[in-house]
Amino acid sequence: MTKQELQKALEPIAQGLFGKQGIRRYERPHFPLRSLETMLKDLTEIPQEEWFAYVFSREPLNGKFQDDQRRRWMEQSIACGREYGRRICQEYSLSTPSELAKAMGMKVTYPTYPEKTDRVLFAEFREPDDIRIYMDGVKKAKKFLERPEISSILGKLEVSELLLAHELFHYVEEKYKKEIYTRREKIRLWSLGPLHNDSTIIALSEIAAMAFARELVKLPYAPYVMDVFLVYGYSPEEASGLYEEMMEFAGRTPCAPEERKDVE
Amino acid sequence: MEYVVGIILLLSFFGLAYYCIKGHNLMIGFLVITILWTVLPLLGTVFASASFIEANPILQYEGSKGLIKILNSIYQSAPEGWGTTLVNVCWGAWFGRVLMDTGIASTLIRKTVELGGDKPMVTIALLNIVTALIFTAMTGAGPVIAIGVIVLPILMSLGVPKAIAMFSFMGSVAAGIYLNPVNFAQYRAFFIQPDEMPDFTLGWYAAHWGYAALLIMLIATTVLAAIYLKKSKTSHAWAAQSRSGASEQRNAPIYTLILPIVPVVLKIWLDFSVIGGFVIAGFLALFLCGRMKGTFKENCQLVNKLYYDGVVDTAPLVGFLLTLPMFNSVASYASPYFKVILGGVMPKNELVVCIVFAVLLCMGLFRGPMTLVGCGAATLGVLSNVASFSVPFLYAVFAIPTITVNIGSCITQSWVAWGLAYTKVESKDFLKLSIPNAYLTGVLQYVAAFILLGGLGAAWFI
Repeated sequence: MTKQELQKALEPIAQGLFGKQGIRRYERPHFPLRSLETMLKDLTEIPQEEWFAYVFSREPLNGKFQDDQRRRWMEQSIACGREYGRRICQEYSLSTPSELAKAMGMKVTYPTYPEKTDRVLFAEFREPDDIRIYMDGVKKAKKFLERPEISSILGKLEVSELLLAHELFHYVEEKYKKEIYTRREKIRLWSLGPLHNDSTIIALSEIAAMAFARELVKLPYAPYVMDVFLVYGYSPEEASGLYEEMMEFAGRTPCAPEERKDVE
Repeated sequence: MEYVVGIILLLSFFGLAYYCIKGHNLMIGFLVITILWTVLPLLGTVFASASFIEANPILQYEGSKGLIKILNSIYQSAPEGWGTTLVNVCWGAWFGRVLMDTGIASTLIRKTVELGGDKPMVTIALLNIVTALIFTAMTGAGPVIAIGVIVLPILMSLGVPKAIAMFSFMGSVAAGIYLNPVNFAQYRAFFIQPDEMPDFTLGWYAAHWGYAALLIMLIATTVLAAIYLKKSKTSHAWAAQSRSGASEQRNAPIYTLILPIVPVVLKIWLDFSVIGGFVIAGFLALFLCGRMKGTFKENCQLVNKLYYDGVVDTAPLVGFLLTLPMFNSVASYASPYFKVILGGVMPKNELVVCIVFAVLLCMGLFRGPMTLVGCGAATLGVLSNVASFSVPFLYAVFAIPTITVNIGSCITQSWVAWGLAYTKVESKDFLKLSIPNAYLTGVLQYVAAFILLGGLGAAWFI
């Protein structure tokens, strides 16, 4: 028996005695795999207004709303995002998100920050002027964009610029918080005599941020597609699960799962 | 000779502490130390002075029959005795799964958020209360993760920085565990046999200290979260969340939202069976939430699956917890040797114990020598055998580093480790928030323990 063979034979015993605690870790859910190309093709065909059910599914107060309210808020928030997109570009006479960020005096950083869970973080805005674009996902996305079948669907796309544009809206929203629609629209959660609690709706801010970003980078489809595109770089399975959910929320039928060999 | 054995035992204790802190397998660690602590004290009787043996009747045994009786009590009776506690753990885990499957837990969280709206501090305070209430009945990594995937994204979407969201959620989970009947039965078994001291029930414990411990942790966590939030900047993130967490939107009827606290209320109020409470509330939840509308066979499969998932949730700890009674039992044979070495320095006064433990709270982190789900079981073995304290007082003394520090504030806790990965919070950022909370809460809880449980009568001593 060689030394390596002996080490290999003793390894399970050593692990059992001195190894780390065998705590059962959280297992992420499993979904059937689909090709990125098919998913992106389906998702880019969904009009921006039809994303309301998906967007509101992440809204903490969603249980209190009806579909007609959600649809109306979606339309108004999109209009708000577009309007501020045009307004900011005019105000600064600039059009690209990175130029605008510079002109606005934002502190933009591009950390790598690897993500590997069922919540993938793409970018963050921290008040008052700090924006972080997490490049790990962006780099993975860039590799996919080098493939002609993907770039033909997504077109000319600078993912980091899109993410930056989205986060810029949160700065703009803060700057115009007294007048902007996303902060003025409120719902009454409860009232008890003179006491009441009125709340803004967080989803409106996110919808407007997406519309703002779309306006700035002239994206021909809704930026929500990025959720699947960027998650795919980490987990094709979870991207497929997310795709299924988006399609169901948009009232469409998800494409059938594909054979493993067809999937990247 | 007893000094030599005492010193070797003490060294092995520090070795075990190092082993636990390094994150090695707890079950094997305690099994090895149990064997060592069996061999050394019993072998030591051959060489120890006659006066030492005479002063310690526990070390007096007659021939091989006496030796086998001791070994049987350590390796057979002790873990068997813990079986009654294990049954509670299994049923509690099943109930936790029922609350998740019926949507009661998630509905409770969502309804709470609908009261607070976009005001982060109000929502944090409300969510902390509800989370603590939920975890008076649920326990284990599975339920914490299931609630965490609802609570954490909500807090983050309100602009609460992720480290504060994590710290606040984990703190309120730990607060609830102070009244959790399963955890109570589990930790009680470290101190006494399940049939010993029948008056030391969850109801007695809750009324005398448990409510105070829960409230202290809940209020301290919430107040600290408010302070941290005031100092921090609001953040907005673009993140994608897979459907596991976000889309589980099963709505439970409003009247079923009371069910999570039914087993605890029945236990505390009527001293009703914990398992009975779990069964009643669990099946009520399944029927009232429409989860038992299938055929008899389908319903049986559902109940069985939930039981299976629940037991799997608790499985990682079972081996460790079934080894601990052996260790607890063997510690009494090692105690005479510890007394020789440490008798003069170990605190024998309740006030001194509270002060020393409050100062050393940080040693409950990283499975250190203060936490019962780490090397603290060995400390308990030493402390309880070299000095005399009432069981409820000793329970509180060790529950604080176990629940407040280890479960609520330490990154070695399985669900805290999950939360760090899920929220992308750096360990040091979490510890910067959780350690001050551990100290603030812990010190206040020791004050409460000294006032409420100090100086108990002879009936509370073994």
